[in-house]
Amino acid sequence: MTGFLDLYSEKDTFLHHLDPRVKLLAVVLISVLAFILTDILYLVILLAFILLLLVLTRSSYGKAFFALKYVVRFMILITLLWPLFDRSGVPVLFSIGPLDITEPAVWRGVTSAVRVGCFATVWYILMFTTSQRDLVRALVKLGLRFDYGLALAISFRFIPTFGLTLESIKDAQRARALELDKGSILRRSRNYVSVLVPTIVSALRTADTLALTLQSRAYGAVSNRTYLREIHMRRSDYIALTVVVMILLLPALAKYVYGVQI
Amino acid sequence: MIPRPDAGVEDAVLFLRDVKFTYESGVDALRGVTLAVDKGEYLAIVGGNGSGKTTLAKHMNGLLRPTGGQVLVNGAQSSTRTVAELARVVGYAFQNPDHQLFCRTTQDEVSFGPTNTGLDEQEVRRRTDRAIELMGLSEVRTRPPLSLTLGFRRKISIASVIAMEPQVLILDEPTTGLDAREADELMAIVQRLNDEGRTVVLITHEMKLVAEHANRVVVMADGRVVLDSDARGAFSDLELLRHSKLLPPPVTQLAHKLAQIGVSRDALTPQELVFELMRGEEP
Repeated sequence: MTGFLDLYSEKDTFLHHLDPRVKLLAVVLISVLAFILTDILYLVILLAFILLLLVLTRSSYGKAFFALKYVVRFMILITLLWPLFDRSGVPVLFSIGPLDITEPAVWRGVTSAVRVGCFATVWYILMFTTSQRDLVRALVKLGLRFDYGLALAISFRFIPTFGLTLESIKDAQRARALELDKGSILRRSRNYVSVLVPTIVSALRTADTLALTLQSRAYGAVSNRTYLREIHMRRSDYIALTVVVMILLLPALAKYVYGVQI
Repeated sequence: MIPRPDAGVEDAVLFLRDVKFTYESGVDALRGVTLAVDKGEYLAIVGGNGSGKTTLAKHMNGLLRPTGGQVLVNGAQSSTRTVAELARVVGYAFQNPDHQLFCRTTQDEVSFGPTNTGLDEQEVRRRTDRAIELMGLSEVRTRPPLSLTLGFRRKISIASVIAMEPQVLILDEPTTGLDAREADELMAIVQRLNDEGRTVVLITHEMKLVAEHANRVVVMADGRVVLDSDARGAFSDLELLRHSKLLPPPVTQLAHKLAQIGVSRDALTPQELVFELMRGEEP
């Protein structure tokens, strides 16, 4: 369950060194682009570009496989389900009972699948190359209130901890002959109470202690705190920023100003 | 390691044969542990942090399944049985009682385990009453466990395991966070359980507990058993203990320091040391 949280690994690539703000913006812009493009050909090109970037993050196969597993499953699901609900257009390829599967609907399904693929995969690039600390730092730098940023960072930090606590609680109750996946639905949900209550209690105890720890380290003593590590835009960051903006701007101009079908 | 004379496997309530375990992260927590625990033994498993004590104990009731080797409970392969089935034979009280407690009253909490094993109401009631009395919890019977002191919370979590009347009781660091009186009280009750014939497996850092209670000590380091003997034998080898990141109880350390004036090194309790010293005084 913690798989999604430790996607980041420290590597020495230009994507890792890029200013997290630029990366955040790039991900947002490329996602927008995926929604602007309607032609399957251009969407496939975009997906290929994103996958190329993913390769450039030099992530381990294990991580990449883990990440893409969900995306691919989702894409297949969309491709299969779309024609069942969208029955417009001709020619009809075949009919199953009252269902007509039409050729345009199949294409629309594939297009949507690729679009969602782009949208999902591009976020992995951010997660693969940016540590949670940098991400929060970037958000704070972009104007997020520091205490919200801290709350975000803390919740990221504690998810694996609570994962471990949850495992330990489940084990403790199993040692008391609890069988979580046996019996009627009522029995099962009652069984889960024995896991939920200790989990919530231990979360509250942790939060209490954490609040005291923060206070004892003078959290909130001054409203305008300083930072040990400042993030600065370098020349390469500005170049990347320009490229990223162009990647969105040029197709958007072509489509909305010059009326090119893309 | 000092091998024990091979106790009959058929008498052993727990028998682990060359048990190996590797966590998903790739950490080898157990690198081949063979151990037979006889009925009625009071066994202490000691070792530094990360030596594999808890991992080993979790194999005894099936919470972890060995990646190599076998675990036999009462002579039968544990691999074919669920944790819930094994829980009737091997009880395991976790280190942190707050990972167990969730009921509105102590009584409900203690009866949770026996209810899960499918006993009838009368039997559940009998076992609950007995465990509550044994652990001295009568005064908090109808109080909510989560708002009691740590000493009580720990006792309740142990009572909730005892109520299942397992043959083997595993206690993981039962005295952590307890003051001296609470700890003494708890250990006296555990001693009584052992006197009644229940097998006790104690996982601990605290050598004083080991010296006072255990009749057998298993020292672990790096996922292996490095020593398996009675408490006296275990504390005689200071080098080996240090290698396992352990220290004998203070009184034994003192005895080691006094060895040059002829004191025997294996004193386990203050009384023994005093006796030794008095004997030395006598003409």
